[in-house]
Amino acid sequence: MGGCACATLLPSTLFLGMRNAQAIEVADKLDLNGKLNLAGVALGVAKSGGASYADFRLCRYQTEYLEAREHRLEESATGISAGFAVRVLLDGTWGYASSPLATEDEVKLATQRALEVAKASQPLQLRKFVLEDVPVYQDRWDMPMKTDPFLIPVDDKIGKLLAINEAAMKAGADYATASFAFVREEKFFASSNGSRISQSRVRVMPETEVTVIDKATGKFASRAGLAAPRGSGYEYILGYDFIGEAAKAAEQAKEKLQAKSVVPGDYDLVLDPTHLWLTIHESVGHPTELDRALGWEANFAGTTFCTPDKLGKLQYGSKLMNIVADRSQEGGLSTVGYDDDGVRSVGTEFPIIQNGLFVNYQMAIGQAQLIGQKTSNGCAFADSWSSFPIQRMPNVSLQPNPKTCSLDDLISDVKRGIYIMGNGSWSIDQQRHNFQFGGQLFYEIKNGKLGRMLRDVAYQGSTVEFWNSMDGLGDQSTYFLGGAPNCGKGQPEQTAPVSHGAVPARFRQVTVLNTDRKEIA
Amino acid sequence: MILSEADAQAITKKVLGLSQAESCVVSIRCGESRHVRYAQNMATTNGAPSSIEITVESHFGKQSGSATGTDLSDDALAALVSASENTAKLAPENPEFMPPLGPQKYATGTAFSASTQAATSDQLARAILPVLKQAQDKNVQASGFLEVGTTFSSFGSSKGLFVSNQSTNVLHTVTARTPDGTGAGWAGTTYQDFSKLDAAAMGTVATDKAVKSQKPIKLEPGKYTVILEPSAVSDLIGILVGEEFDQRAADEGRSFATKKGGGSLLGETVFGKNVTIYSDPNDPLVPGSIYSDDGQPAQRTVWIEDGVLKNLQCGRYWADKTKRAPVPSPTTLVMKGGTTTTEEMIKQTKRGLLITRFWYIREVDPQTVLLTGLTRDGVFLIEHGEIVKPVCNFRFNQSPVAMLNKVIAMGPALRAYGEESIGLPIAVPTLLVDDFALSSVSDAV
Repeated sequence: MGGCACATLLPSTLFLGMRNAQAIEVADKLDLNGKLNLAGVALGVAKSGGASYADFRLCRYQTEYLEAREHRLEESATGISAGFAVRVLLDGTWGYASSPLATEDEVKLATQRALEVAKASQPLQLRKFVLEDVPVYQDRWDMPMKTDPFLIPVDDKIGKLLAINEAAMKAGADYATASFAFVREEKFFASSNGSRISQSRVRVMPETEVTVIDKATGKFASRAGLAAPRGSGYEYILGYDFIGEAAKAAEQAKEKLQAKSVVPGDYDLVLDPTHLWLTIHESVGHPTELDRALGWEANFAGTTFCTPDKLGKLQYGSKLMNIVADRSQEGGLSTVGYDDDGVRSVGTEFPIIQNGLFVNYQMAIGQAQLIGQKTSNGCAFADSWSSFPIQRMPNVSLQPNPKTCSLDDLISDVKRGIYIMGNGSWSIDQQRHNFQFGGQLFYEIKNGKLGRMLRDVAYQGSTVEFWNSMDGLGDQSTYFLGGAPNCGKGQPEQTAPVSHGAVPARFRQVTVLNTDRKEIA
Repeated sequence: MILSEADAQAITKKVLGLSQAESCVVSIRCGESRHVRYAQNMATTNGAPSSIEITVESHFGKQSGSATGTDLSDDALAALVSASENTAKLAPENPEFMPPLGPQKYATGTAFSASTQAATSDQLARAILPVLKQAQDKNVQASGFLEVGTTFSSFGSSKGLFVSNQSTNVLHTVTARTPDGTGAGWAGTTYQDFSKLDAAAMGTVATDKAVKSQKPIKLEPGKYTVILEPSAVSDLIGILVGEEFDQRAADEGRSFATKKGGGSLLGETVFGKNVTIYSDPNDPLVPGSIYSDDGQPAQRTVWIEDGVLKNLQCGRYWADKTKRAPVPSPTTLVMKGGTTTTEEMIKQTKRGLLITRFWYIREVDPQTVLLTGLTRDGVFLIEHGEIVKPVCNFRFNQSPVAMLNKVIAMGPALRAYGEESIGLPIAVPTLLVDDFALSSVSDAV
């Protein structure tokens, strides 16, 4: 198991800044044989307890969080969270239990608890869950990465954060915050089918924001950074110009304070990929989740307008619209070898929207048969060792225009419009029809030319109408991978990291609001 | 895993004994829960998770660092201390560092219920069975979540402070939907004591609303008189007081509570005179943790009194700098209610809407606390004192600051739960509010 690799680096890790090297070494007391042994205990107890299927996940999350505010470090935290979960299917009813104590006795007790939960819940099982056969894998998958962020000296990282804030303050920001969060996720999965899978991946999550104040008017304006979280090593941090952006952000925040407040009305919009990825997430990613379509999220995340009768029939968007799901994309937060049901996911891309037509759902195990299909397409995820795997998004991305098309080309065909960059506020209804999105930066478009900055912009729309109004799309050279580390779903609620690739796109006659008021009716 | 106070004290003592730092704090949080999740009138994912987390924060002068782990073995605790000390030594000095607190006086906790801690998965299933049977009988699809949990937490410092808190919580929410997809209803709340749960009654409310909300009509967006049920109110109040009541942000000029020209609006009438909101760890309806940030005692704190902004959350550093007493984050929230029943509110409404709950609330403008979100699972038109028709959902764009200036009547405060809440135990009344801004119609049911 790969976790051991860190322990072998122990002599040099303190020098390199790996502050919790000793903790890693302690947490590495289980080698692959130890994990296989615990899995055997869990799966054995589950089988003798009558489970038709069981799986065991042993996970460890190594974390680091650094946050600077103006010229000082506000927080420096490191952590290790480790534990296991056992899931059993007993006569068609699920039960699961988890614990942070990875010992044989505790694994036995937790498995018995999972069986007890399943048995107790059987009177509520109107329809039994039936699982499709999943191929058996004995494999190991590690996310490719150049530079392990946990081996970068901590003072280098702190120095970078302080330098980002310094650049913002020098450029006129009144306040500045910058943070880096790093996670190494290590999972060992064993199922009663015979699969034994070890995986590791790393996430880097930078966040920055500057604020400027106009004391005379009492107004203030902020500008958040446009860098996306990524499934990557530290090379992503090294390759992004945070300092240049911080200075620019301060200038832009000052400009925002003086910018013209938008006149509400219908506008053509050109949406930058730093903004559009989130619109894709909310209005395409979530509506095409099969568990929502089946009603399993009705009490929390919601259902979807995209019901199974629309599969292969609904013209979701214009012919330019192609949305692909993958778990292979470099830098993708959902990129992983196998999902948390043990289904192979890397290299198994599938279209969700093809030439505007809705053609596929995202699925976990036990779902495909309910819409007449055969198998899951590898979209299960559990956000921690203590969570039940549920259907979560792979990387869901808008494909570039195969024909040459630049951002300027898109803008040049707009008489009266707005160009939007970055994410502001976002909200969409529980069936994913009605949405409202803000942004970080807004620029007027007049007669095909980008003009002055605007402020107080948000647009509202309805999903299918909006995507069918798309008549322009950037090419491969304009592609950007956005994403979020914290997409919420499920009860108890789980947060999933997910990426969305996008290119700039043009949408016609979208309703724009002015948000500079206490109420908008 | 639930630790006893003695166990937590022993672990804290062990960690403090290992510490080489000038000062050190140890916080522990552990929990055990059981849940049944159901959808389409059947169980889906049911579980019994267990958790523990221990954080050690070390300080050398004004250098600080922390390390968190989930392993309580001796070698893991030693490693945790080492990690936090390495972290602190590599951190630059923080001029805003505040040393850990010594012993404090705390209220006696009242947020624990033995019946909740003892609840079994069988009991949970028995509570839900009538909800599902009723849904089948009425031909609706019920989906919901019932969770019982016990949480223990402790906070100790090298300056002699040790405090612990044990609490229980029961959460049940249920959504009913009609098979034709045109009707949806919801009910949900929290309890401290499992024996008080009446899941079947909540199922009845959700089912009844689902049936009555079928085939809703579309109304024009605009400003409406609305009756907001407690779930909807809890979301708006929770976000406003829990997230926006910040003294430093107000003083720095980046808050709704900033005064034009500088300073904060503390002491000024910012809300309607009928609005009072407070926190109290021993509130009989919604007791909360007896300690808050940095181990500070949670005390009765009035945030808004008769419309006057009385307190904003204020950290120890900012309090020291601005020569104020610190105001720790709330561990519970109560909006003082009135005596008007929902039926009376309906009777006195010429034209308005009854709103069950909200969904996907996000801040649009921090300057005004303009929030957007949507209504969900039951909106009904009231005309001349009677509910007359179900109505399609709306998107709202409304500041709760402005809304709390337009409250016409209030019901009694009740324990409430909203999906957009910030996780605090909260009690709020049903509100009758004028001029609530609904800016577009949603086709979602």
